[in-house]
Amino acid sequence: MKFQSQKVAWGFFATCMLLLSLQVIYGFIMGFAHAGYDGLHSVIPFNAARATHTNLLVMWLLAGFMGAAYWIIPDECDRELAWPKLAWVQLVALVVTGVTAIIGFHLNWWEGRKFLEIPRPLDFLVVIDVLLFIGNIGWTVWKSPKKSTTSMVLFFGLLAAALLYLPGMIPTDNQTVDSYWRWWVVHLWVEGVWELIMGAILSYLLIKLTGVDREIIEKWLYVIVGFTFLSGILGTGHHYYYIGTPRYWLMVGGVFSALEPLAFLGMAIYAFTMAKKGGRTHPNRVALLWTVGCAFMSFVGAGFLGFAHTLPQVNLYTHGTLVTAMHGHMAFWGAYAMLVLAIISYTLPLMTGRKVYEHASAGFAFWTSNIGMTAMTLAFAVAGVSQVVLERRAGMDFLTVQKEIEVHFVGLILAACLFTVGIGTFVWNFIRYGLPNAPLKAGGERVVTPPPDVSPGVPAVARS
Amino acid sequence: MLSKSAAKAFFLGGTAITLAVFLSLTWDTFQQIPGRTNAAALTDQVKRGKHLGEDNNCMGCHTLFGEGAYYAPELTKVYERRGPVFIRSQLKDPEAMFPGQRKMTNYHFTDDEVEALVAFFEWAGKVDLNGFPAKPTLGAPAQVLVAAAPSAQRPQVFSQICVTCHALGGLGGTVGPALDGVGTRLDAAYLEKWLKDPGAVKPGTKMPKLPLDDAQLGELVTFLSSQKTLKEVAQ
Ligand code: HEC
Ligand code: HEC
Ligand code: HEM
Ligand code: HEM
Ligand SMILES: [Fe+2]
Repeated sequence: MKFQSQKVAWGFFATCMLLLSLQVIYGFIMGFAHAGYDGLHSVIPFNAARATHTNLLVMWLLAGFMGAAYWIIPDECDRELAWPKLAWVQLVALVVTGVTAIIGFHLNWWEGRKFLEIPRPLDFLVVIDVLLFIGNIGWTVWKSPKKSTTSMVLFFGLLAAALLYLPGMIPTDNQTVDSYWRWWVVHLWVEGVWELIMGAILSYLLIKLTGVDREIIEKWLYVIVGFTFLSGILGTGHHYYYIGTPRYWLMVGGVFSALEPLAFLGMAIYAFTMAKKGGRTHPNRVALLWTVGCAFMSFVGAGFLGFAHTLPQVNLYTHGTLVTAMHGHMAFWGAYAMLVLAIISYTLPLMTGRKVYEHASAGFAFWTSNIGMTAMTLAFAVAGVSQVVLERRAGMDFLTVQKEIEVHFVGLILAACLFTVGIGTFVWNFIRYGLPNAPLKAGGERVVTPPPDVSPGVPAVARS
Repeated sequence: MLSKSAAKAFFLGGTAITLAVFLSLTWDTFQQIPGRTNAAALTDQVKRGKHLGEDNNCMGCHTLFGEGAYYAPELTKVYERRGPVFIRSQLKDPEAMFPGQRKMTNYHFTDDEVEALVAFFEWAGKVDLNGFPAKPTLGAPAQVLVAAAPSAQRPQVFSQICVTCHALGGLGGTVGPALDGVGTRLDAAYLEKWLKDPGAVKPGTKMPKLPLDDAQLGELVTFLSSQKTLKEVAQ
């Protein structure tokens, strides 16, 4: 850690851990409901559990991106954050807004629009909060003489993400128009500007962890985000096939979204090549594992499983079935959840001066959660494909089919247990790292040598 | 080898071009939406139905236009598939039609609200969705078969509600017994008592107490009483 104000990232990361844990609990509620055990229906009906599950996800990922920015921007710009206190205020405001929204969901206070359930008055608070965040990092970048590609891509990615929240707030009485704007938020986030954020954070981690030359890494960053926008913007069309929009979207969406996996493939090749190329072996191997793992799993979840149902001929039958849930889980996990866990794994030792990553449990958390998520994806896949064949192709009744596939949700729950063990270990390690109080060091943060003066039992201090 | 500035130009140029195309298509789409969605039919009642659905987050369990959750039936074509009588019954008493199955929240809607939702589903079913939901390719759906069966004197409430659980002439659900020849088995007085409140006649029965008004009840009793066995018809 070079600057005192980078510490604020810890607050955001701790929030991530808390919200992720809650998200998993709500996942179980829905898993059990699908398996036929909906005992909580009168207290937490399915729609409340779902809105909570997905909004917690979006909220902790945003908190993770903000934490990452508050860490990376001072480092890249070589100066303290413009207003460190404001960053803490902004964190508290974000948490208060989020908690209010979640309580609201349980009291039937929401907008029934998938992923954008946060009620309108709270939307404005979210916008103000994000503006404070953008202002803070924007001013920091502006004031710094150093404007690295990584920090600029990160900044513009975050700014665009904030702006794209606005179309979701356009009021309308027409369901088709409603849906049209909703995708500007949902799709242009995950398959557009969030990929910019992802590319920037991955680049930063690769520069730090592999020691490959910045110029090379940043050049490829441009190529990858170039592919992202080239395919992803018109790829929005894969959501405009069957919602009442013109037929030409079948063509436009089909062709361009079929190219989207290229950006993810690029990201994966890029991470693997840089990790191999980098001569230096950074001691924090687990952070590199999460980084490369993120690039790989995002290709599987978003690229491969996204492609699997993106052609209009296929999507006609899979649209709005559990096949989408299969893709949604692996894509969000691989691309964005693992990204946030990677930056947390990298920064924690530097912030706290402890080296929990040396412990076997750090690798265990990585492998267990990934194997668990892969098994969950398989369970969703079997349930989803069965649903498509029985309900959409053979014309069986919805509820009859749901009864048939209940057993796959028992499988989902078992897989989710494994996943939860991995996540639990990660969170436990986060707690073991303790509070951020490592001494400040200028530069040279790659060198981690055990200090000579540690007494037994006291964790070694990572030089940063 | 590609230089960093060439890479940057690729990024900026590619983004600008695709964005321009995307915005033009968006403009064109908005010209076409009113026609494709039959916007002229968006009455105040339909709009009210849309916002009622939104305020209660029906899409947190259901899908509409294929968007939403995967826990409850797709609602785009529910007006065509089930009909208004069924939808009213489902909204008034969600447990009635599928006792012991997956649960839907009871919102205690007023009659006006129920009608607004029904109107909304009628509108939604007519939007041009480029062929979604597709007709099943491997077999005809059960509900369509029921609707296609000769139903000249069948009361609407019978072909929309009772057939989900009962078969008549070999078509329909299997939750309750087939109703062929029920007019021979049971007399009108019993039928009326039964339909008013099955639980009162036979405690613990799986047949639900359905929200039927007097006119519907009368129609049903007449119709059921006319379902005689072949032997009796021959006499
Ligand atoms: C907690 C989940 C849940 C919510 C919320 C919910 N439903 Fe349902 N709904 C169901 C389930 C499950 C069924 C399947 C039948 C049953 O078990 O009642 C269903 C069935 C229906 C049906 C009959 C569909 C068919 O094809 O049989 C209609 C119409 C319907 N719901 C409308 C609505 C409307 C309108 C709303 C919002 C005001 C809503 N539902 C909210 C769970 C839900
Ligand atoms: C949710 C499923 C369900 C629905 C909907 C339903 N029933 Fe039933 N019905 C049953 C079941 C189950 C039985 C058997 C009851 C028992 O014996 O306990 C039954 C029994 C009956 C009987 C007695 C049959 C006999 O031979 O003894 C009649 C008559 C009947 N239903 C008529 C109707 C009519 C008319 C409707 C539509 C208004 C209707 N039912 C809707 C489930 C249903
Ligand atoms: C990290 C990137 C991605 C994430 C996080 C992601 C996540 C999701 C989620 C959550 C949904 C459901 C959305 C909703 O119904 O509201 C969805 C739908 C979809 N995604 Fe992705 N996705 C990603 C990338 C991709 C890619 C690259 C493709 C195509 C190659 C793709 C193809 C699709 C399609 C076709 C649907 C619509 C499914 C349907 O019709 O029900 N996705 N995605
Ligand atoms: C214990 C683990 C989990 C379980 C049991 C679980 C279960 C579920 C279930 C049952 C649904 C609802 C599907 C429906 O509408 O019927 C759902 C939705 C969703 N979950 Fe999870 N989940 C878990 C963890 C996660 C994690 C870690 C992520 C992200 C990385 C995630 C992302 C999502 C998303 C994006 C959706 C919406 C999908 C869509 O709309 O297509 N879940 N989850
Ligand atoms: Fe998409």
